[in-house]
Amino acid sequence: MIHVDSWGVAGSVQDAGRPGRAWLGAGRGGAVDLPSLALANRLVGNGESFAAFETSGGLTISLTKPTMVAVTGGVAHVTVEGGPPVGWGMPVVLPAGATMRVGRMLLGARVYVAVRGGVVNRGDAMHAGPDPQTGAATQPAARREPSTNVRIWPGPRLDWFDGDALLTLTSKPFLVTDTSRVGTRLRGGALHRVRHGELPSEGMVEGAMQVPPDGNPIVMLAGYPATGGYPVIAVVDPVDVHLVAQAPVGTELHFLPA
Amino acid sequence: MRLLPYGPRAVLAEFSDLAEVMSAAAAWRLAQLPGVVDVVPAAATVLVVHDGSLDTALLTEPSTSMAPPGGELVVVPVRYDGEDLAEIAAACHMSVDDVIALHSGTEYTSAFCGFIAGFGYLVGLDERLVIPRRATPRTRVPAGSVALASTFTGVYPVESPGGWSLLGHTDLAMWVEHRDPPATLPPGTRVRFQPT
Repeated sequence: MIHVDSWGVAGSVQDAGRPGRAWLGAGRGGAVDLPSLALANRLVGNGESFAAFETSGGLTISLTKPTMVAVTGGVAHVTVEGGPPVGWGMPVVLPAGATMRVGRMLLGARVYVAVRGGVVNRGDAMHAGPDPQTGAATQPAARREPSTNVRIWPGPRLDWFDGDALLTLTSKPFLVTDTSRVGTRLRGGALHRVRHGELPSEGMVEGAMQVPPDGNPIVMLAGYPATGGYPVIAVVDPVDVHLVAQAPVGTELHFLPA
Repeated sequence: MRLLPYGPRAVLAEFSDLAEVMSAAAAWRLAQLPGVVDVVPAAATVLVVHDGSLDTALLTEPSTSMAPPGGELVVVPVRYDGEDLAEIAAACHMSVDDVIALHSGTEYTSAFCGFIAGFGYLVGLDERLVIPRRATPRTRVPAGSVALASTFTGVYPVESPGGWSLLGHTDLAMWVEHRDPPATLPPGTRVRFQPT
């Protein structure tokens, strides 16, 4: 059993989500930083979409059986009681009775903790799933500092803004003021609406940059609702969405034309 | 129809009315176009999500003479005892019995889902039952509430905030996670409400 002593900040269990359900009113869900989920899973020998812990710090788990774990995503202060230290990007087997705490975030916004077999929620308790029968990584993964350069494409409602809007987005940095599983809120140059009135809700994609009436854009992440009613000015390139997901409050993001 | 850009893996088609949205969404889903991941109708648009390989020239407008294909019929059993029933009757200048007879005497079609997973916006409401959303939304509408607002009727899948007027309640689940599809009223579904 994996006992969750504390979920910490925004702690949850996430897999790769379920694309293709927006027509039923459901967004993808799942990990907001898919490449980090996939890496954590590969390190312990899991399939890339297995469920793992996602946390913005403060997650504490205790193990009742020897369990292989790996930590990826952002960098947090990780401590282990009753077992060997767990570094970033290296599978480690923790003995029965060990307690691992993911402390506060040092770099990035989210940490992934994979366990060999995947995290399985059986009602009131978490367990590791059956052994995946695939070898774990023998080399540590190399961590690359995530870029703050994020490629964007013109969005469907770019024409609701004045002719300088795309230039405003791409010429000066935008500051991350808040981030949740639903989206990352930004503040930067003024985006002037030339078309007013209400937009009927329409389908959205992950990475869609919505602009609410206050003019501060929000980039939608995996926990987004399937539809939204604010005009989408631009779309983050799908390959770069994880960079937005890993940008903590205070980060300056630089948008570039894709 | 107007095609609007939505990055390398999606395109947004904008239409002039909901009937066009419904027939395009039904036709494009049925066509199983190569590379398409999702076809998402909304009030005035259809979002087509794909893997980057879709040839958008394949997104042709279905001819207006073509009736949208009839979906599966789902019967929703309803206890017409909603909190707002008397208010709805007063606003529509009719008796509560007439409201129930009109609401349950019509066949609806799920036009699109949104707001919450499994919440289908059903069209076909008798025009005598068209009333605006409530001035003050409720912070908690119980799961299974059968409600109406504007030209739509629908069922709240889970307890949530909501501004629609409440007609009654159904025990029929609107979302069953391990069923394919999990939504009970996906776009295109024909729906009847059966008083119990």
